[in-house]
Order: sequence, then C-alpha cells, then structure tokens
Amino acid sequence: MIRNGRWTRRQILGTTLVGSAGLAAGRRALAAPAIVKGSKLTFWGGLIFSEKANKLQAETIRKWGADNGVAVDVVMINQNETVQKVSAAIASNTMPDALDLGLDLLLLLSRQGVFLPIDDLFDSVGKAQGGWYPAAEMATDTRKVAGGRTGLPFGITGNLLLRRNDLLTKAGFSKPPATWEELVTQCVAVNKPPFHALGLALSNVGDGNTQIGVLQAYGGRIADETGTKATIKSEGTREYLRWVKDAWDKKLFPPGNTTWDGAGDNNAYLSGQTAFIANTGSVGIAAKSQDPELFNATLYSSLPGGPKGNYSPVGPNVRAIPKSSKNPDAARALLEHLAQPEFMSAYYADAIYGPVTKAQAKFKVFDGKDAIHAGLLDLVERGTAPAYPDVYNPAFADVWDNFVVPKMIQRVVIDNWDFDRAMDEAQKQTQAIYDKYK
Amino acid sequence: MSLAVSRRSPWSAGTSQARFAYALVLPVVLLLAGLVAYPFFYAIFVSFTDRVVGNDGQWIGLANFRYLAQSPAFAAAIWNTIVLVVSSDVLKLGIGLALALLVNQRLPGRGLFRSALMLPWAMPAFVAFLTWRVIYQPIGGGLNLVLTGTGLWPDVVDWLGQRSTAMPAVVAASVWRGFPFWFISILAALQTIPVELYEAARVDGASAWQRFWAVTFPSIRPVVIVTALLSSIWTANSFENVWLLTQGGPSDATIVFPVLAYFGMQTQRIGEAAAVSVAMLPVLAILVFAGTAMMQRGEDE
Amino acid sequence: MKRQATLWRIGSYAALLLAVALVLFPIYWMAITSLKLPREIYRTPALWPHVLTLNNYRLLLDEKDFLDNIRNSVVVAGAVTVISLIVSSLAAYSMVRFRTRFRGLIGRLILFAYLTPTSLLFIPLSILMSRLQLGNSLYGLVLVYLTFSLPLSTWLLQGYFRSVPRSLEEQGMIDGLTRLGALLRIVLPLSGPGLAAVAIFTFTGAWNELLLALVLITSESARTAPLGLNYLITSDVLPWGPLMAGAVLSSLPLMILYFIAQRFMVQGMTTGSVKG
Repeated sequence: MIRNGRWTRRQILGTTLVGSAGLAAGRRALAAPAIVKGSKLTFWGGLIFSEKANKLQAETIRKWGADNGVAVDVVMINQNETVQKVSAAIASNTMPDALDLGLDLLLLLSRQGVFLPIDDLFDSVGKAQGGWYPAAEMATDTRKVAGGRTGLPFGITGNLLLRRNDLLTKAGFSKPPATWEELVTQCVAVNKPPFHALGLALSNVGDGNTQIGVLQAYGGRIADETGTKATIKSEGTREYLRWVKDAWDKKLFPPGNTTWDGAGDNNAYLSGQTAFIANTGSVGIAAKSQDPELFNATLYSSLPGGPKGNYSPVGPNVRAIPKSSKNPDAARALLEHLAQPEFMSAYYADAIYGPVTKAQAKFKVFDGKDAIHAGLLDLVERGTAPAYPDVYNPAFADVWDNFVVPKMIQRVVIDNWDFDRAMDEAQKQTQAIYDKYK
Repeated sequence: MSLAVSRRSPWSAGTSQARFAYALVLPVVLLLAGLVAYPFFYAIFVSFTDRVVGNDGQWIGLANFRYLAQSPAFAAAIWNTIVLVVSSDVLKLGIGLALALLVNQRLPGRGLFRSALMLPWAMPAFVAFLTWRVIYQPIGGGLNLVLTGTGLWPDVVDWLGQRSTAMPAVVAASVWRGFPFWFISILAALQTIPVELYEAARVDGASAWQRFWAVTFPSIRPVVIVTALLSSIWTANSFENVWLLTQGGPSDATIVFPVLAYFGMQTQRIGEAAAVSVAMLPVLAILVFAGTAMMQRGEDE
Repeated sequence: MKRQATLWRIGSYAALLLAVALVLFPIYWMAITSLKLPREIYRTPALWPHVLTLNNYRLLLDEKDFLDNIRNSVVVAGAVTVISLIVSSLAAYSMVRFRTRFRGLIGRLILFAYLTPTSLLFIPLSILMSRLQLGNSLYGLVLVYLTFSLPLSTWLLQGYFRSVPRSLEEQGMIDGLTRLGALLRIVLPLSGPGLAAVAIFTFTGAWNELLLALVLITSESARTAPLGLNYLITSDVLPWGPLMAGAVLSSLPLMILYFIAQRFMVQGMTTGSVKG
C-alpha cells in the first residue's frame, strides 16, 4: 500500500519479498516440466500382492491426471510377465510413457539405451527426503551403462527369514539363527517327518537362487573381481556344498523342494509343513488375513550369515521413462508425484516394500509395531546390492537366469555326484556363459 | 469296389475351375504367409545373430548353436524330448482309440460320457498343470491322499522330485491334458466309415478283431497319421507341462528344449532362444515329410 | 449271442465309467478347491471340504468382473470358430476336389505353420499387430488365432470331405446344383462329425490361449478368461480358491459347446449313399 505517495520501509521490504518470491516461483515454474493439458499418458504399474495398494496406485495416478488435465491410461501388469510384455512392446514400439519394473530388467534395458536419464529427478527426490539409502542408491546406479540414472527407486524387496517362533521357543530357541550352521541346528531340533523344518527351495526358480547368497557366505564366488572369469569351483563352494549335503542327508528339506515353483516354499509354510522359509513378506500378509494363528506364530529376521560373510541382497523396484515416450515431461511430473510422502506412506502401509529414502523410514508403518515391515526396514538398513560380493553384470544375470547354482546342488543331492564333478560342470557352464559377454 | 473307382475318376482342373480353387485357398495361404511364414523365417534369421531385446545385434553365425550344444542340458533335452513325445503319442493313441471305439456305440448316456471325456481341455493349460502340481504334492496332494487313504500305497511319494518318477509324472499329466485331441479326431474318423463295409465284412465271416484290422484301421489311418504328426509337434514344443510341474528338474531329468528357450528369453537374448527352436526344426521337418509321404502313399493306393 | 452282446455292453459301461472317473479326478479336485476356504486349502487338505464356501466365486464375480472376461472369450472364440468353419470348408473343398498342382505343397505348408512355437512367434506377431493398428483389440486377437486354427481346420476337413463319395456330387450337379451348391447341400451335411470336431478344436484352442492374449491385450476391459485367471496371480502366494473357481466358471461355456457339438458326431452319415 502506498501512503502519502512515498514508500515506507516495510512496503519496500514487503514488495521486495513478494517480488523475489514471485521470481523464485517463476523460476521453479520455468524449471518444472511444462505439462501440456489434454495430452495422453500411458502408465504400466506393477501388480503386487495387496489388492488395496494396487487400487490406490491406479486411483492416485488417475486423480493426478484429472488434476493436471492429462488423459491417463493406467495398466496394471503382472510382475511375472513384465519381461514378455516389455520385450514385445519394445519390438513393436508400443512402450508406455512410464512404468514400474525391477532392477534386473532396468539394467538390461538401460544397456540398450531404452530409457531416458532422470538424474535431476533422482537428485531432487533424494534431497527432499533426507537422502537415499545406500542400498537403493548404489544398486540402481546406471550411470556407467546408460550415461545417467534411468530408474527412480520406489520400494525395496528382499528375502527375510520367516520362522515358526512357537515351535522354536518350545525347543529352546528364542533367537533367530545368526549363521547357516545355527539354522541347521535349530532345524534338527524341530524336524519330525512329515514336518521338515528347512523350507528352502533348491529348484530352478528365483527362490533356488537364494542359495547363491549362502554360497557366497561360505566364501564361494561365481566370478572374479573383474566379472569375467568363472570361479565357482573353489574351497568356499566346497564348504557350501558340504553344508547343503549335510542338511539333505539329515532330511531337513521338505520332499519335492528340488522341483518347487515360486510358490512351493510358501505352500509348505502356509500348510504348516516347515519351520523356516526365505520370503519377501508375502506369506506374512497372506497369513494375516487367512490364518491368524500362523501369523501370530511367525517372526521375521534377516538371512543368516556364513563363515566368510553376511549378505542380505536387496532388490529395488524402480520407475523409468522410455525414450520412446511422447510425453516425457508429464511422465516426469507423474514420477515425482508418486514419490511424494502422501502417496508412498499410504502405499507402503499395504505393500511389502522397504523404504528407499531416510525420510520414508519415519513413516508410521515402519515404527516397529508391524513385524513384517520392521523386518523390511532392517533389511534395507543392512542390505547389500544384488550379487554382492560378485560383480552384477549381464553375465551374472545370465548365470542367475540359467539356474546354474541350483543345478549344481541338484546334481549333488539327487544324482549323488561328488563335489568336484558337480563343481566342474558348473564351472564349465559358467565360463561358457561369461564368454558370451566378452 | 465301386468306391475306389469313383475316387479315381478324372477331376483334373480345367482353367476356370482351377481359378476357383486357387481363390478358395488364397485367404488361407495369405494369412499363413503373413502371420506365420514371416515370423518363422524371422526366427531362423535371428538365431544366427546375437540379437537382444532393444538391440538388433549382429550376425554371429553358429555361435548360438555352439553354445547350446556344449551346455550340459542339451543332451538331456534331446533324450527327454524323444521320451516325452513317443510315450505321450503311444499312450494318447491307445487311450483315444479305445475311448473312441467305446463311445461310438449306441450306449445310452454316451453324450454325457463324450462331454465328460473332453473336460481336460476345458481350461487353460496353466490351470491344468498347476492343478496337477498340487495333485502330485507329496504331503497333502490329491494323489498321495487317495493312495494312502485307500491303502494302495502306504508311503508318501515325491512324484516330481525324484528322477525315477518325474518324467512319468510329466507324461501322465500331458496325456491327461492331450488325449481329447486324439479321442475326438478318431471318433470323427470312425463315423465316416460307411456301415456297409462292416456289414460286408461280417457277411464274409470276419470276427470283431478281423473287422477292426480290415475295415476300421485302414479307414482311420490317415487321420491317425495327421493327429500323430500334429500331436508330436505340439508335444515337442510344449512348455507349460514341464515348466509348471518340474521346471526341467530335478537335475535335468525333465529338461526339454522349450524350457531352454525360456531361459534364453529371460536373459532377453532372443538370438539364443531362437537358436533352441531352430535346433529342433530339422527333426520336426523330417517328421512332417515322413508323415505326409505316408499319407500321400495311402491316398494313391 | 445276445448274452455276448449284453456282456459287451456291460463291459463297455464299466470301462467308460472307470475312464471318466480317472479323467475327472483332477476336475473334481479343482471343483472342491474352489469351494474351500484358503486356510483349509493349505492346512487341512482332504478329498471333501470341511466348510463349504462360495466366497471364491463371489470374489471373482463381484470384485474382478470375471464375467466380462468370459464374455470377451465367448466373442473371440466364437468369431474364430465361425470364420474358421466357413473359410476352411471352402479351402478344404477346393484342395480335395481340384487336383491342383500344388496340393501336396500347400498341405505341407499348412503343417509347417505349427513348427514355430508361440514363445518365439509372439514378438514378430506383436510387431505386425501394432503396424496393423490392431494391438490391444479383440479383432487383432481373432486375426492371430485364425492363423493357428485355419491350417488345422483345413487339413482336418480335407480328410472328411475326401470320404464323401464323388458320385453324390456328380449326381447333384447333374440335377442342376452349382459347385458351391454341391458343397453346401451335399458335402457339408455329410461331414457332420468332421465339422463338429473342427468346431471343438477351434473354439477350445481360441478359448484357452494365453501367451498371445497376454502380449497383445493391455486394457482390463478387453481381457479374455485365461488373462483374467492369470492376473489373479500377483505374487508368489497363489490364490488357489479364486483360481479354481475361475477355472470352473470358464469351463462352463466349453462344456455347453462340447455337449452340443458331439450330437453331430453320428455314425454312418454316409451310410446308404453309395449305390452299388
């Protein structure tokens, strides 16, 4: 307000403040992506176990679209089929404007230059939320392969060790096993066929590949530090095979675990036929609604360690924007919107993800009252990058996808091969795989 | 017999009739050329490249095939495919033929029987094999429940996790799923046999067994050959039966080529995946030629 | 003589009942699982539900709009079947009646169509479909399914048409029928079993197909029944109850089709048609 035709100091100060605020706002508006009203955007969301969380994600995106004048098409994709759908979409040039995907697919496709770099988004979200967790930050680093960060992490999955606390405390074990040897000891105490306590899969599925972590904990490695030479045949691996064979001979594994599918260990646990499984928490959520007795009897801890290390591999899930997107600015804005606390705190409450930023760790769901989420938070805090201590390159992923380690185990326990013969075969196959990527 | 004579009456096409013929077959051929031939040759081409999703890759000659041949699973896959295809075919032929003969009779309620016997087809393949997985489960699975409950077998059997029972289990589930194809094909073929042929044979004093070999079998032979060809190709290419039951395990006991191709797809190495399918082609092509030659011979007789 | 016939009949019945019992056991398992509560499915597996529940069905029909999926499947499978029957009848007829030079070649080509597995075909097919602007539509799906059903239908119908005596057609054409008329009025009616078989195969194949539908269809509203079932599985804990309920529901249209189609499978349609 101007009085007497002269500006008071307060007025000048006020005007300056307003002016500079206006300038700043203007600057932010300039920096923020310009969303074109009336444009279209297709988003592929990843279906997770919780129906509620899936619906929430779809509704949140639709509301964002309505608020911003963007016509959104939300398609929820089954995580088991993302690979096929994405392969076909890339080939036929029908990729969405943004999508949820797992780390391995992100890395694979980033190498082919499929995605847009979003370093600025990554940095701004990290800064606004107290910094990224090291596990999330390092695992999703695509700068070397794609010239920039292509994935915005939004949730961390990983295997927890679920245990039947009721049976174990009765046998005198109140603490989770800290080493794989201890795990066997606890299993022996409660093992009573048809109840087989060690519900770990040794089959050609992702669950079977968790044995790679055990192998590494005993000192074995898939390849050397350069990630080019196979080193599977080693003393560490021999020690590990001794552990597996010992557990097998003690009849600790449930029958059929060498041909389990992804649901095999979960079926065994939910049927009350086993005491320990490695699971992302989905079994806990299922038990909560359908079998409260089992839910209350279950406790969660991180995976045990071995004589040569303790590795808890985590798998970050990310959102990315394909280069082929015709509406990248809107896609960026959507990704930023989805990273905001209002959505994420509600999403986490029903999902089985660990947090990716330090600020998210303060959400109510991680306050420790919920055993599953407390376990996930613990996993994130001590989590290691996937494949660590091996180098996570395409060759490693290939060894993973071809189930070389489960096959080696099956040779030992099913066909009774001696360790050297099994290791030789695995070594040869691994080297052949690594040679493909020279 | 007059039948044979009328079949050989000269019907070679005049020009207008030939044009009419081509016009009728054209839609099918065009569709096949566009939607099947193109992908078929594309797949063969890709198998000689190191194509990855998102990147066209370069020509690498036989490298994919060499990698495939040295993998420990390759030899097992060949053997398992032969076992799976041959035993499935033989069992499906036996069961399909027996059932078709049974339901071809004038029995009351045969409509219900026929419909019931087609039920293994009434659901997507993945549901069928997931159900079989549950049935084969050692503890609490349907099969073991029945065996232990009726006292036929006292112990819990791990059907899928043992080398000795894994392949038979896969074959049994595959036969269950696939026999309706043989059943219906043979049934329809049986019904095109004119009843007079049987009458004539009976008048000549032939027994039921002789009537079968003299009349039934020759008449359904062409259909059996085609069905065997198609069924073999489909079984060799089938993925869900092995993947959903055993994933190729335990220890490669049930590994087959489609599962190896799947591993290639998961790593996005399309060239590798294509090489697996192309490796199977020569054998399947031989089957096709042999089968059509047999049929051609039967026609000209 | 009569006793022998009766024994034969009883034996046949017994054999059929045994076969049906063996074949139906997995179906039975699916049906009772669909009526069980999740906890019971896992904890107390048995051959009969302790507690009967319709909750799995309710979940599918209310929350998942499974009936829409079934409707889509009926549309797609029905279209594929009808078009297949018409087109392959024409193609098979021409292949049988006109000894064209390429008959053997076309026959082999048709069989070669099945050599490439779907797991390899789905990428080039999705490229083609997107170029034709038919991605994510039921029309595109119908077209793709036709490529798999036409070869088989044509080949099968060939066999059945061949068994219809030419003398009948000759007679009909002398009486004034055109070639097309001969097909419609003489050959087709006598090929009831063949046509029924083709209808069964085509409808079933189109109904149960999953991989191509998965890759080509993205909107929820266009999902077919197998897709609907597939999307019930969202993680490594399988929802057995709803899955089996869905399997039971989606088998009903097929059962109806089978029951109707098998009525055309009658012995001796060509009986008495051969004179002398």
